[in-house]
Amino acid sequence: MGREKEKEKPSEKALNLLRSRLSDPNFIFRPLSDSPDSNYSKLKFIISTSVTEACNNSILLLGPHGSGKVAVLELVLSDLLQQYPEAISVIRLNGLLHSDDNCALKEIARQLCMEHQLLFSKVASFDDNSQFMIAMLRECGLAHKTIIFVLDEFDFFAQGKQRLLYSLLDAMQSVNSQAVVIGVSCRLDVDQLLEKRVRSRFSHRKLLFLSPSKEDTERFMEHILSLPMDSSLPHNYAAEFNGRLKKILSDERFKELIDTYLSFNFTIGHLVRFLFQAVSYMDLNAGFLSLGNLKTALSSNQRQLKLESIRDCSVLELYMMVCMKRLEVKEQTSYNFYSVMTEYKSIHDSFQTSDYYAANVCLRAFEHLLQCQLISFIDNKGHNQSVEFRPVKLLISSAELHQGLKSYQQCPAILLKLMDR
Amino acid sequence: MATEESPQVTRRATRSYSASNTAIESTNLPESYKPTINDLGFRQQPLRLEDLLSSFPGRRSQILELLRLLGPLNSPMFPILVYGGPSTGKTSVTLQVFRHLNRPFIYSSCITCYSPRILFESILNQLLFHRKDSGHSYSSVKRCERPSDFVNYLREALENVLTNLKGNSGKVSSKMSGRPDGTMVYLVFDNLERIRDWDKSSTILPFLFNLNDILKMPEVGLIFISNTSPDTYYLNIGYVEPIPLYFPDYTEDDLRHIFMANQTNSRLYASFLDVVLRPFCRVTRQVDELAAAFSSLFKKYSEPLSDKEVAPNEEMKRRLFSHIRPHIASALNETFQVRSQPLLKAETNEETKKTNSSRMLGIREDFDKIDFHMSTSAKYLLISAFLASRNPATLDASLFDSTGVSDSRKRKRNCAYWKNFKYSPRACYNLTLEYMGI
Repeated sequence: MGREKEKEKPSEKALNLLRSRLSDPNFIFRPLSDSPDSNYSKLKFIISTSVTEACNNSILLLGPHGSGKVAVLELVLSDLLQQYPEAISVIRLNGLLHSDDNCALKEIARQLCMEHQLLFSKVASFDDNSQFMIAMLRECGLAHKTIIFVLDEFDFFAQGKQRLLYSLLDAMQSVNSQAVVIGVSCRLDVDQLLEKRVRSRFSHRKLLFLSPSKEDTERFMEHILSLPMDSSLPHNYAAEFNGRLKKILSDERFKELIDTYLSFNFTIGHLVRFLFQAVSYMDLNAGFLSLGNLKTALSSNQRQLKLESIRDCSVLELYMMVCMKRLEVKEQTSYNFYSVMTEYKSIHDSFQTSDYYAANVCLRAFEHLLQCQLISFIDNKGHNQSVEFRPVKLLISSAELHQGLKSYQQCPAILLKLMDR
Repeated sequence: MATEESPQVTRRATRSYSASNTAIESTNLPESYKPTINDLGFRQQPLRLEDLLSSFPGRRSQILELLRLLGPLNSPMFPILVYGGPSTGKTSVTLQVFRHLNRPFIYSSCITCYSPRILFESILNQLLFHRKDSGHSYSSVKRCERPSDFVNYLREALENVLTNLKGNSGKVSSKMSGRPDGTMVYLVFDNLERIRDWDKSSTILPFLFNLNDILKMPEVGLIFISNTSPDTYYLNIGYVEPIPLYFPDYTEDDLRHIFMANQTNSRLYASFLDVVLRPFCRVTRQVDELAAAFSSLFKKYSEPLSDKEVAPNEEMKRRLFSHIRPHIASALNETFQVRSQPLLKAETNEETKKTNSSRMLGIREDFDKIDFHMSTSAKYLLISAFLASRNPATLDASLFDSTGVSDSRKRKRNCAYWKNFKYSPRACYNLTLEYMGI
C-alpha cells in the first residue's frame, strides 16, 4: 500500500507504543517489583539460594487473577537464567491442561527432552515417563543443575488423587536431586486441599500477591502511560502528551472514576485492561488521551446486563415474563409453558388487551427467552421432554423486571399495572 | 527410556482398505485444492470503510468500536467478547471488518464444531493449510483431543504461519497480490454459548478464556462471539474477562433501513412497511423472522396492483391497506418460518385455494388438523403412547425386566406409580390433563 511511504502520524506511533506496552506483562510488573521487600525480591532470594546451596525447595504464589504472579515469576526466572545460564532448567505445567497425571508426566518428559536435546517418544507409557523423570532428577542433581517446576493453576493439580504431586515431591525427597516446585494459584486456601502425605512434604512457604496501594497505583499509571522522551516520537508531541496526561491524572473526576473501577476490579491485570480500552478509544486526529476516553471505557465495563437483555425483548416476551412473575406471586413456584399460557389467556380475558397471539408464536418467544438466559430450566434431567412441559424459573428478580419495564420504550401500560398488583 | 528411538509402528491394512486404495488409484482424481497462506485472509475484494458502514445500518458505533479495539496493523490486543441477541449481525460485522482490514484470521463456529476434538482439529487444519479430501479419507492433519496437545500443535503451527507472514510483509504491497496484511493472526470463535452444553464445558471454557495467557504470544488475537451476555460465563474459576462489545437489538428505524435496502420499488415498500412493521415488532424484532414473514406478505400486498413499478399515492395506499388488513392479523398468529421449498408451496397454494386464509398466505403448513377418522380407543392409545414415550429409560428397563424376579422394593416403587392407573377412559383423560399442567 502507498501508506508505507507516508510518515506515520505521531499519534499512531504513540498508540502503537502504548498498546504494546499494556499487553506486555514484563513491562508492567518490573517497576512494581523494584522495592526490596516486594514479592519479586523475596522470590528471587528463595530460588537463588536453592540454586547456589543445592537444596530442594517448594513455594506457593497466591493471589487473585491478574495480580501478576506468573509475570513476576517470569521476571525472576529470566534474571536468574542470565545469572546462572547453565545451572537452571524450567519445566512449565498448567492445571487447565495437565491435570490428568498421564498428560502431566508426558508433558514433563517432553519438556525435559526438548531442554536436553533428547528424542521424545510419544508412545511412552506412564511408568516409562515417571522413571525417566526420576532418572533425570538424579542426573541433574549429580551435575548440580536445578530443575524448576512451575505448576500454574495449582488447585487443579490438587483435585483427585494428587499422584503427580506426590510422585514429584517424593522424588525430590528421596532421590539426590535439586528441584524447586513453585505452585501458582488463585485460591488462597489451596494448601488445605492437599492430602496429608503431600502436605507434609511441601514446605509451607507462601507469597501473597495483593493489590498495590493507592499511591503506588497512581505512580504506576503515570509511568505506564507517559511517552518516553528519547524515542522516535517528535519531542514536542511527547512533551505535550505527557503534560496533558499529568493534568488528567490529577483531576478530581479521574480519581473518582478510578476509585469506582478499582472498587470492583482491584487487580493490576484489570486496571491494565481498562487502560488498554481507554487508550484504544483515543482519537487519532486530536492525538491526545482525554478524560472522555476513560469515561467511555468505564461505562462499557459497567453494563447492567440483565436490563439490557430486557430492553432487547419484544412486547410479547415481556408479557410472558410478567405472567411468570404473577404466577410466582400466587405461590405457584414451578410453572411450565402451558401454565404461563393459561395465565396469559386469563389476563387477556380480564383486560381485553390487543396483544393476544397463538400458542406457536408464544412458544417461539418462550424459546427466545430461554436462549437469552432470562429464564432457565429448573433441572437438566428432563431432556426427553419437550420444551413446553419442562418446568422453568425466572432468572431475574422482580425489582429488575420492574426497572426494565420502566425503561422500555413503548411499554404497554397494562404491564406496569400488572406488576404493581 | 526416552533416549531410544521411537518404535516403528506398522499399519495393518485390511482387505477392504487395500481394495479401495487400488480402486482410487486407478480412477483419475480431480485436482484437489491446496490452501495457501492467502486463504487466511478474506479472499474477496477488500471493502472501504464507507461501504462497510453503509452496508450495516444502525451498527456504526459497534463497527467503529471494534475497529478501535483491533487497533492499527501489528498492534497486540486483549481478547474481545462480542455479544448480543440472535441475528443482530455479530458474525457478519466481524467477518466484514476483517475483509475491510485484510488481515489473516481463522474462523471456527461451535455449532459445526460440536466437540472439543473437532474444534481443535478444525483450527489446526486451517493453520496448517490442510484440506480434508478423499485422498486422505477426510482425516485432519493431526489427531488432537486434549487441550495440552492442542496448545503444543497450535504453537508450532502459529510460529510457522507467523514466519511466513513476516517474510511476506517485506515484499511487494499486498493489495496487488491478494495476500493478507500484517504479522498478526486472529482466532475467531463463533457461537460460544454452545460450549456450555458440552460435557467438558467446565474445562474447555476456562481454557479458551485463558488461551491468551497460556500461549503468551502477542501476535495472536482472540475474538469470541456469543449469543448470551457475559454473566452466563461467570465460572467459579476466574480469569481476567475479555473486553465486552455489545450489539443491541435493532430499533424500528434500523429495521426500516435494513428492509428498505435493495428494494426495486422503494416507495411501495415504504408504504408496506408503514403498515406492517409496528404490529410485527410487538412480537419479535429479529431480522430473519421478520424477513420471512414480510416476503410473503408483500406479495399479498402488491397483488391488486397491475403495475408493480408504480409509486402509490394516498388513495392507492388506503386501498392497499384495506386489502391487506385481514391478512395481517392471521399472519401474526403464524410462526415465522423460513420456507425451504418455495416451488412446492406454489403448487399446494393452487390446490387449496378454497380452504382457509392461513393456507392461502402459505406461511405455515397446517399440521394441526387430522382429516381422517380415528376411533376413541385409537385416540387413547395414541395418548398413552405419548405418555409412555416420556418415561425415563430406567423405568422401562425395570418394567420389562426379563428375569421375572423383582424384589419387594422394586415392586413397591412400581405399585406406587401404577396405583392411579385404573384403565378407565376418565382416569386416562384426567391424567393427561394433569400432566399437561392445565
